[in-house]
Amino acid sequence: MAICTGCSLLCDDIEVDFEGGKINKTMNLCRKGRGHYDSLCIDRLAPAVDGSEVGIDDAVSEAAEVLKGAENLLLFGWGNSTLATQKAGVELAKKLGSAIDDPSSYSQGLITEKILKGELPTCTFDDVRNFADVSIYWGDDPSSSHPRHLSRFSYFPRGEKRQRGYEEDREAIVIDVRKSPTADIAADGFFKIPPGGDGNFMEALMATLGGKIPKVEDKKKMLNLGTKLRKAKFGVIFTGLGLAHSMKGELDGFLSLVGKLNELTRFSVIPTLGDYNTRGFNQTLFDETGHVNSVSFKDGVDHGPEFGIAKYLDACDAVMVVGSDPAAVLPAKLARKLAKIPTVAVNSHRTLTTDAALVTVPIAVAGLEAGGSALRTDGVKVEFDAVVKSDHLPDVEVVERIMEAV
Amino acid sequence: MAGAKEVAMVTYRGIFQEVEGALGMYSDGYRDQSALLDLDGSDAKALGVEAGQPVLLETDSGKVVVAAKISEEPHPGIAFMPSSPWSAQLLSGEVGEGGLLELKSFRAKVSPASPAGAAVTSIEEIAERIRAP
Amino acid sequence: MVSVMEIYQLLPKTNCKKCGLPTCMAFAVGLLGREKTIEDCTPLVEEPKYEKKLEGLRELLAPILSADATETGMIIHTEKCYGCGNCVVACPVNVANDPKGTAIGRGPVSGKAILMVEDGVVKCVNVDQCRRFGPEKVLCNACIVTCPSKAIEFI
Repeated sequence: MAICTGCSLLCDDIEVDFEGGKINKTMNLCRKGRGHYDSLCIDRLAPAVDGSEVGIDDAVSEAAEVLKGAENLLLFGWGNSTLATQKAGVELAKKLGSAIDDPSSYSQGLITEKILKGELPTCTFDDVRNFADVSIYWGDDPSSSHPRHLSRFSYFPRGEKRQRGYEEDREAIVIDVRKSPTADIAADGFFKIPPGGDGNFMEALMATLGGKIPKVEDKKKMLNLGTKLRKAKFGVIFTGLGLAHSMKGELDGFLSLVGKLNELTRFSVIPTLGDYNTRGFNQTLFDETGHVNSVSFKDGVDHGPEFGIAKYLDACDAVMVVGSDPAAVLPAKLARKLAKIPTVAVNSHRTLTTDAALVTVPIAVAGLEAGGSALRTDGVKVEFDAVVKSDHLPDVEVVERIMEAV
Repeated sequence: MAGAKEVAMVTYRGIFQEVEGALGMYSDGYRDQSALLDLDGSDAKALGVEAGQPVLLETDSGKVVVAAKISEEPHPGIAFMPSSPWSAQLLSGEVGEGGLLELKSFRAKVSPASPAGAAVTSIEEIAERIRAP
Repeated sequence: MVSVMEIYQLLPKTNCKKCGLPTCMAFAVGLLGREKTIEDCTPLVEEPKYEKKLEGLRELLAPILSADATETGMIIHTEKCYGCGNCVVACPVNVANDPKGTAIGRGPVSGKAILMVEDGVVKCVNVDQCRRFGPEKVLCNACIVTCPSKAIEFI
């Protein structure tokens, strides 16, 4: 049995046959996971310095030189790294007095932080499968990004107290700005809101739960929702980028709503995080510093948006990007800033970021070519072994070698 | 009657887009799944744009040409675009008060791409723009 | 879903009876029910003036005549399939036959599941077990309504 590190569900019931180094047949692996598996022999990264291919040892020592010479260094990425690699990364940041950040600083970092701090109640996917009777997908389309979310855990399967699965025992509610594939499945449970309208929706729902008439067009639908939520025995809200960005970093409305729901019944929050081990990095950094991202070790422990990649690109003079492709995601202006800074790209595949990097260091694909452990998006630890041989180094080894060389 | 229109833009991710991205960010497959704009039917009509036609998207931060698609579901005044290097060309890079980089929701001008600039922007060109001095 | 009228419009409409049926409309019904093949209409296949109709008809009927179609009339459009497993976990036959596997959201373990995800897309095996098949068939649609991309349909 193999694991899939294509998304943060970390499915561990994958059967895979190899034939001459290529994937022959897979069972239980979703379309997205199959793409991840198939990419094993496509566009792999070669070690290079300034565009010229070099041996891996030279790439590592050049990388160390870039890092050593920096005044304001940023170590970015980590969502696609194993727990051991993330731990080593934090150690490296401390050793070099650098800033360290991951894509959660422009995604769901704040929601994750509230969960790790205990300000938002949470539970595991196993709890969801066994007990959840209301699943709310808020600004979240897991059918597209985490395809087996609904079938493995949150809507379709049978569980201990949900023996009749989605047919009788569960409800799906989707709150989104468009009729996403997940919204299509939820049918009657779909609430379409305008972009940025999540705050208003929360207010209307709060009013409903408080026994007042909500200020919405379809009052009946909102009142029915209120009733449904009040009657829930075990509710879960799955949050996505749609919600995180609509709230623009201001979570008070969401915290109040979840608080209100928990006065009436039990409601947990599980974020649908991108990258297979984002939760792992957030937890690792949180355990070390009390923060989930945007930390600087220059002077003790400092934290703030100024150390997140979006703002730190102005200040930093060298970057190491591990398992991430910010040049493809960041607004063009910021991507251009990144391209001008001496960059070490540690990755399994060629990307826009690796093409703009000064030094590239290839790594193995975790879950297939290298073993390790990671935290599923609900926080449950999953361990895995390699299933295929490869010459590529596991990411933890690369980070440790760089750490030795600096 | 053809013209230009300002719309609210929202980015999203699609499964086939992510599969193609895994199989190669520089592939035609990834471009076909990412360099597109989901337009509301009535908005498309007002713009004189048909499915598959190239459209020019402009913001203060940049511009790209992508392929228009017409949504079945109505959503006048709003257009949806896959989150990709193409959408990233249009974003401002502003960091909001809550410390969050604006990545999902912004306004853009949409117009039919003129015949001269009618090809969908290639990923190579975007990579060049990022790396240009 | 393909309709009889759509098929009829692409036939010669001469009622020549060469296929063995009295009218082209009857032939259209036979084609849809897969009791007749396109080749049974010899004028359509042999005469150059029907070339466009023949092409159109082949395209129209391709999903029905493909190897994907099963005896329950189930068609899986694998190019649309997300491999999400919703249909696998929702299928009542799977639930009954595979209580320790697909019923609880995992991959099949009993060897008796009829829907499963292979090579990233859904596949149907042991189709005679599907509730829509056989003398006591019911119009079960669990695998249709649970699909995020309308990749499964029944003709």
